[in-house]
Amino acid sequence: MNEELELKLQAWVDGELSGAEAERMAALASGQSEAGQLVAELREVKMAMMGADIPRSVPESREFFWSKIEGQIQSETQRAPVSKPGLMARWRRFLMPLAGLAAASCVALFTLTHPKPVTNDEFTSTDEAMDTTTFHDQSSGLTVVWLQDNDAARPTSVRPEQSDDMTVTD
Amino acid sequence: MLAPRDQPEISDTELVQAAQKGDLAAFEELVARHRDKIFARAYSMMRNEEEALDLSQDAWVKGWQRLVQFQGDSSFITWMTRIVINLCLDQLRKHKRQRMESIDALDEESGGVERQMPVVEVNPTQGLERGELRQRIDAALAKLSPEHRTALVLHEFEELEYKEIAKRMDCSIGTVMSRLFYARRRMASLLASLKRESLE
Repeated sequence: MNEELELKLQAWVDGELSGAEAERMAALASGQSEAGQLVAELREVKMAMMGADIPRSVPESREFFWSKIEGQIQSETQRAPVSKPGLMARWRRFLMPLAGLAAASCVALFTLTHPKPVTNDEFTSTDEAMDTTTFHDQSSGLTVVWLQDNDAARPTSVRPEQSDDMTVTD
Repeated sequence: MLAPRDQPEISDTELVQAAQKGDLAAFEELVARHRDKIFARAYSMMRNEEEALDLSQDAWVKGWQRLVQFQGDSSFITWMTRIVINLCLDQLRKHKRQRMESIDALDEESGGVERQMPVVEVNPTQGLERGELRQRIDAALAKLSPEHRTALVLHEFEELEYKEIAKRMDCSIGTVMSRLFYARRRMASLLASLKRESLE
């Protein structure tokens, strides 16, 4: 019997053949032929192995076994690379304060070079403790919020360079 | 925390769902339920307790990392078994590279002496108690080459078809058929000699 035939007989035993090929192997395996003896041996081993998978227990306690897994999970999590900010994000982080500074400078420049009567403009002052003054220019739609210490003197005119802190909103 | 200890009324599916949301306690319960089966499969392939323990541990870590990919197409234990089998196969490939030049490797490809063995005519498993038969099969499995043993374990214990075994073992279907054939012939021979020894 050649190797190819032996492997085909085995494939038939394992249910991997169908149709004419399966019928041919069944015919070969019948009786006391060499093929029949080989098929009997293969079946014997196959039957013996059914349900012969020996159950085994982990030779460690539940707690100890888990502690190692948990430790590995945590170290893998910590080792996961923290994604670096992209080029755009780094530029944005750098440019945003500059943009804010530029906007504040523009407002200050505009206020200094275009002095206007304050007839229709609004001054709002909060309580004494806060010392916050808001100026709203209706013609330009500009609002300037001016913060000052309690001890400092109240301004007589809206001059951003005099303020300790200033917020500009539209 | 979904998983108070030892509450069998919580199904694997519920535990998996909780673990997929990051509940480590639920995952710990899954490990406790199935750790023996995963370890046993690793041991059946590696035949080395320390290695089987390390690989089963690695399988659980991988299982946690890939849990979001688990869709429930198979049972959780089947999914975990696949992970541990793949890790064992990787490890066996490493071993094989190390012994590539040895006689073992040559025997594995040619079928070794099994090719010329006469068919075993006595029934080597007849009259044996189930427990004794299991022990003999286990002893015989330990004597097979890792490639032959793996093919047999995947076919007989995991009930995988030739095609699936070939995919897992990264070889052709012909190689799987060949490995299975010589593994069975060697098993028949080993079981017969074990029977003869017990009769003497």
